[in-house]
Amino acid sequence: MAFPGWTTLKLATVSLIEHPLRTLLTSLGIIIGVAAVYSMLAIGEGSRREILERMNGIDARSMSVYPDWSRRGRASKRRPWRPFSERDLEDIRLIPGVFAATGSLSKEVPVVNEKSDWSAQMQGIDLDYMRANDLVLVAGEPITASDIERREPVVVIGQTVVRTLFRGQDPVGTRIKLNNIPFTVKGVLGEINSEGFSNRDRDNIMLVPRTTARNRIIGGNYLVRDHISGLEIVAENQDDMTRIEREVGDILRLSRGLKPGEAPDYRIFNFSANRQAAAKSKRTLSLLLAAMGAVSLLVGGVGVMNIMLVSVTERTREIGLRMALGARQSDILWQFLTEALLLSIFGGLAGLGLGYAMSRFSLSMDDITMVFSLDIAMFAFGSALVIGVVFGFLPARRAAGLNPIEALRHE
Amino acid sequence: MADSETLICCENLTKVYHQGQSEIRALDDVSFTIHAGEFVAIVGASGSGKSTLMNMLGGLDQPSSGEVYVDGVALSTLNSRQLAQFRNETVGFVFQQFQLLPKKTALQNVKLPLHYRRPRPDGETKMAEASLARVGLGDRTGHRPTELSGGQQQRVAIARALVGAPRLLLADEPTGALDSVTSADVMRLLQELNGQGLTILLITHDRDVAAYAGRVITFLDGKILSDKMNTTETQRARQR
Ligand SMILES: Nc1ncnc2c1ncn2[C@@H]1O[C@H](COP(=O)(O)OP(=O)(O)OP(=O)(O)O)[C@@H](O)[C@H]1O
Ligand SMILES: [Mg+2]
Repeated sequence: MAFPGWTTLKLATVSLIEHPLRTLLTSLGIIIGVAAVYSMLAIGEGSRREILERMNGIDARSMSVYPDWSRRGRASKRRPWRPFSERDLEDIRLIPGVFAATGSLSKEVPVVNEKSDWSAQMQGIDLDYMRANDLVLVAGEPITASDIERREPVVVIGQTVVRTLFRGQDPVGTRIKLNNIPFTVKGVLGEINSEGFSNRDRDNIMLVPRTTARNRIIGGNYLVRDHISGLEIVAENQDDMTRIEREVGDILRLSRGLKPGEAPDYRIFNFSANRQAAAKSKRTLSLLLAAMGAVSLLVGGVGVMNIMLVSVTERTREIGLRMALGARQSDILWQFLTEALLLSIFGGLAGLGLGYAMSRFSLSMDDITMVFSLDIAMFAFGSALVIGVVFGFLPARRAAGLNPIEALRHE
Repeated sequence: MADSETLICCENLTKVYHQGQSEIRALDDVSFTIHAGEFVAIVGASGSGKSTLMNMLGGLDQPSSGEVYVDGVALSTLNSRQLAQFRNETVGFVFQQFQLLPKKTALQNVKLPLHYRRPRPDGETKMAEASLARVGLGDRTGHRPTELSGGQQQRVAIARALVGAPRLLLADEPTGALDSVTSADVMRLLQELNGQGLTILLITHDRDVAAYAGRVITFLDGKILSDKMNTTETQRARQR
C-alpha cells in the first residue's frame, strides 16, 4: 500500500479547494485544538522559564529579618521593640555561604536643590547593599568604605529623584539638601526593575552611608548602639538557605540575650520556600493546560472524523464511479487519508497562526508569560498531523470498503 | 464481419440473491459469446437481470457460479487489484445517470480514468481532448456538466469511457435519461464508434434503441429468451 504520490496529493488538494466551506468547518476543530495546545504549552513554558529565572535570581536566594514583638508572656514582661546592630550584621556576614548581608536604616525625608523640592526614601547603606539588591550605577561613583567610615555627606540617587530634581541636567557633583543637610551627589542608580512592587516607586530612593544617615538624620537608638532596622541576607546558593536561616537565628538569639525556649523577638522571611511552592503549583497548572489542549485536539480529531464520514457518505457515488473507472481500494483509501492529512496540515498551520496571535495578545496581560518556541510549535503541529491521520483512517477505510455497484446507485 | 476473435464468453452464469427466506435468481445459467467488434443490445423487462449481467462483465460483481472470460481471462481468477486494472484498461462504462463529477470540467471528467492508469501515460490532456473531439465535443472541454445538455453530458461520459482505449464499452441504459431525438444522436455516435472497431454491449428497455445494434439478446427472468442478428441495422441508420 505504497503512497501513490503527487496524483493523490493533487486530487485531495483539488477536492478540498472545491469545497472551501466544508474544508474550513472540518479543520475548525483542529485549528482550535492546535491553537489551544500551542498557547497552553507556550504559557507553561513561559511560566517555567520565569520561575527558573526567579529561582536563580537574587530574589530567590535572599531572606529578610525584621524585629518583632515577642509574642509570649504578659505584656509588662515583654521585651521592648529592638532593632539589630552593626555587630549582628558583621557576624552574619561571616556565616559560610553568605553572598551578601546588608542592613537597612531608612526614612522618608525632604530633598531640595535650587530648583525644586521633593520627598524620597533615604536608605542608609553599607558596602553590601548594592550587591544584595542587584543595583547598578549608570553615572558617578558608588559609596565607598571610606565614605562610610568618615560619615561623608554623599548620596547616590535613584531615577525618580533625578527626574524630579534635575530634569535633564547631570546631577553628579551637584549639591542637594536632605532634611536640610547638604549632600553631594556622588552617583546615579539605573532604573530598578520594580516588577511585583507596583505600589511603591523603588526608584524614588537616595542611598547614603549608613553612618551618615544614623548620625545626621535619623539619630541613635536608646537600646542598641549602631542600630539597623532590618537585615537582608543573600545566599550564594539556594540550597544553603535553610542552614543560613538557622545560623542567623543562633547569632541573633545570642546577641539579643534570648533564653533557650524563649520566643524570638524578630522574624525571618525566607522567600525561597514560598517560591518553590509557587513553582510547583505553576507546573501543575501547565500540566493541566496541556491536558486541556490534548482534549481539545482530541475533540478536533473527532470533528474531522465526523465531517469526513459525512463527506464519504455525500461522495458515495463519486467513490463508486472512481472504482468503476479503475481506482483500487488503496487509491480511495489514500485519497481520503491524504485529505485528512491536508486538512490537519491546514488546520495545524492555521491553529499555529491563531495560537501565535493569542500569545501576542497575552503579552499585554500581566500575569501570563508566553514563550515562542519552535519545539512547541512543531509539537502542536505534529499532534495535529497524528490526530488527522488517526481519525481520518476510519472514514478512509469506510470509503475504500464501499461496494462500487451500491455506491453508484446511491442517491 | 469475418470470423473474428471471441472477446466475451459467459459460461453457466448464475447470480442468486437471498432476500429473507426467498431467493432471487437474477441470472440463471446464462451462456453466450460475444466477438470483438460486435454491437450487442441486451433487452428485457425490468428486473430480468440485465444490469446484473453487465456488472459481472465489467468486473464489478462476482457470479454465484459460472465464469466470465474476457479476452481469454477468467475474471474469477483476478484479485481486487487486478480487477481494478481490468476495469481501467479493458472496459469503459457508460451509465444511465452519466455519473459526471459536477465540480469538474468536461476535460477533467474525461481524464479521470487516466489517474488510475499505471504507469501514468504521457499527454493525458491530449488524450482527453482527442477523446472529447471523437464524440464531437472538442469545443466544450472547459464546460462543467451543469453547463451542458443531457445529450452532451452523455457524450462526455462516453468520451470518458473511451479515453483509456478500452476493448469493450459497457453501456447500461445510456439513453434512459434522454429524449428520443437526443437518444438517436447518442446511438448514432455509438454506431459510429462500433464502425471504428469498438465492441459495444448496450442495455436498454427501448426496442427502437436496440435497433441500432447488430445483435439483440433478450432476457426474461434471468434467462436468455432470444438471441438474434439485427438485419435492419444499417438501413435504419441511413434513414435518419
Ligand atoms: N443487491 C441486490 N440484492 C438483492 N436483489 C437484487 C440485488 N441487485 C439486483 N437484485 C435483483 O436481481 C434482479 C435483477 O436485477 P437487475 O438490476 O439486474 O435488473 P435489470 O434487468 O437491470 O432491471 P432494470 O431494467 O429495472 O434496470 C431483480 O429482481 C433485482 O431485484
Ligand atoms: Mg438495470
